[in-house]
Amino acid sequence: MTTGMTLSSGQTATGPLLSVAGDLDHRSAGVFRAAVNALALLPGQLLTVDLSALAFCDSSGITALISGRNNARAAGADVALVRVPPSTVRILRILGLDQVFRVDPAPAPGSAPDPDPV
Amino acid sequence: MCGTSDGDPDLDTGIVTGTTGAGTGTSVGIGTGSGSGTGEESVDDAERAQFSALLEDSAEDLYEHAPCGYLSTLLDGQIAKVNATLLAWLGYTRAQLVGRRRFADLLTVGGKLYHETHFAPLLAMQGRLSGIALELKCADGSRLPVLVTSVVKTGTDGEPLLIRTTVFDARDRRAYEKELLRARKQAEQAGEDAEQARAEAETAHQGVEAERARLQRVVSILQKSLLPPELPRMPGLDAAAYYHPASVDVIGGDFYDLFPLDKGRWGFFLGDVCGKGPEAAAVTSLIRYTLRAAFLVDSDPVHTLATLNAALHERFTGSDPRYCTAIAGTLTPGGEAGAVTVGLAGGGHPPALLLRADGTADFLPTPGGMLLGVLADPQLTSATTLLRPGDTMLLYTDGLTEARTRSGPRYSEEDLHAFVADLAPAGAQTTVDAVQRLLGGFGEGLDDDTALLALGVPAARTAAANPGAAR
Repeated sequence: MTTGMTLSSGQTATGPLLSVAGDLDHRSAGVFRAAVNALALLPGQLLTVDLSALAFCDSSGITALISGRNNARAAGADVALVRVPPSTVRILRILGLDQVFRVDPAPAPGSAPDPDPV
Repeated sequence: MCGTSDGDPDLDTGIVTGTTGAGTGTSVGIGTGSGSGTGEESVDDAERAQFSALLEDSAEDLYEHAPCGYLSTLLDGQIAKVNATLLAWLGYTRAQLVGRRRFADLLTVGGKLYHETHFAPLLAMQGRLSGIALELKCADGSRLPVLVTSVVKTGTDGEPLLIRTTVFDARDRRAYEKELLRARKQAEQAGEDAEQARAEAETAHQGVEAERARLQRVVSILQKSLLPPELPRMPGLDAAAYYHPASVDVIGGDFYDLFPLDKGRWGFFLGDVCGKGPEAAAVTSLIRYTLRAAFLVDSDPVHTLATLNAALHERFTGSDPRYCTAIAGTLTPGGEAGAVTVGLAGGGHPPALLLRADGTADFLPTPGGMLLGVLADPQLTSATTLLRPGDTMLLYTDGLTEARTRSGPRYSEEDLHAFVADLAPAGAQTTVDAVQRLLGGFGEGLDDDTALLALGVPAARTAAANPGAAR
């Protein structure tokens, strides 16, 4: 089954970075969860999830994000969603999850990208 | 023949050689050849001998070495004459056959029987038989397939004298027939194999189809168990609902219910479990009964959602978490001029839409209400409104507001707001029917299941002709 999602990883000053491109949905949620589980997060670290290339996120995708957040919290770390597209910001607000995640919306068009969100 | 052909390239040499050769056999030739005056005649004789050989006018040689076997038998079957070709094929000497064997002795057991019952009587009756396939026994015990043609030679008085038989070697033909037969059997076998494979594929296909139909029945039955079989009739209130499955093969996670509470009040909820399939359906079943039970204990919508949240959070904290969004609320009739008070709470769910009797439409937001099951103590937000005659409230799941439209972008809440604003004022059934048609228009773009629940107060009696208020 093709997932329509690509993941890339990196590092920021505060911890690991995961960049999600494409659709985070019931087909790709498992892949995302596995990727988060594979990260060895340390207490005090911040897992940064870059959603700037996220095309679509359904309820399974949201579940995967929460699952990632729970894993991070279990390790004493935290999660920040950065460069979140407006549609996903809207969904996160409807779900009340803007109170659970640190959500940094995508910068307005034309402004310089902000790779260091916190 | 050989000598003749040797002489061909050079006529002069040939003549000299031929004359010498001929001279040894024909004294006349030599005699005339010795005289110088008769040299011309001697050359003529030699040429005639060469042509004679070329034309095969030696009947004896033609008989003996013909490309087919010849056999003459007496009327009792005794072999009277046989040619060298047939003797060579059979491996017998002439002395072994002539006057000692009958034609039938050369046949196989089956051939003998056929000869006695068919061949000989027919030949006697017709005087001729042709192209009969038989097998002859050779001296070394091998079999020689042949085609036999026989004629009865009669005397001048018409009395039969003997039987003349030609025998054609049919080995090549028999091999060809066997090859044809083998090819035919192979083709028939291939045909049978193909038919069997087709039948097996058909059986397998039927099995798969039956299994699929069975699965769809199970999915359909389970799905129905997650939804009320029919909505209750409420005095002074209309209700309509619609459930659109994402697929006949996959059970969805959307749910809704409408049920009586005490003092003429009604409870309702609608929600969406994250994910699809049997696991989601199991959770959906748990949610439905948890909410119904919670309403019995305490009908405050915030409290019912808090109870549900606690059940989900406690139950599904492992590697397979299950969350849901929901709106739950109560309807309290008995307000001024038929108005019904709505109190509801939202947990991470898209806001309800209100279609007012005056033709406007608004969201009824529950901001900050959180997805249920994520946190132990989530924020849950309540809202109230008054439904007056002609007002309808629409609850929906995000299958609707996340459908991919044919033009590309997803159908948004703003799109839905504009759609119902055009529709208002409309009764519960009219609203559900219109949104159902909208969903149908998404076609393949509707990749999630979708639930709709509309609750309305019928328009005043003067507007009873409104089909939406008919229920």
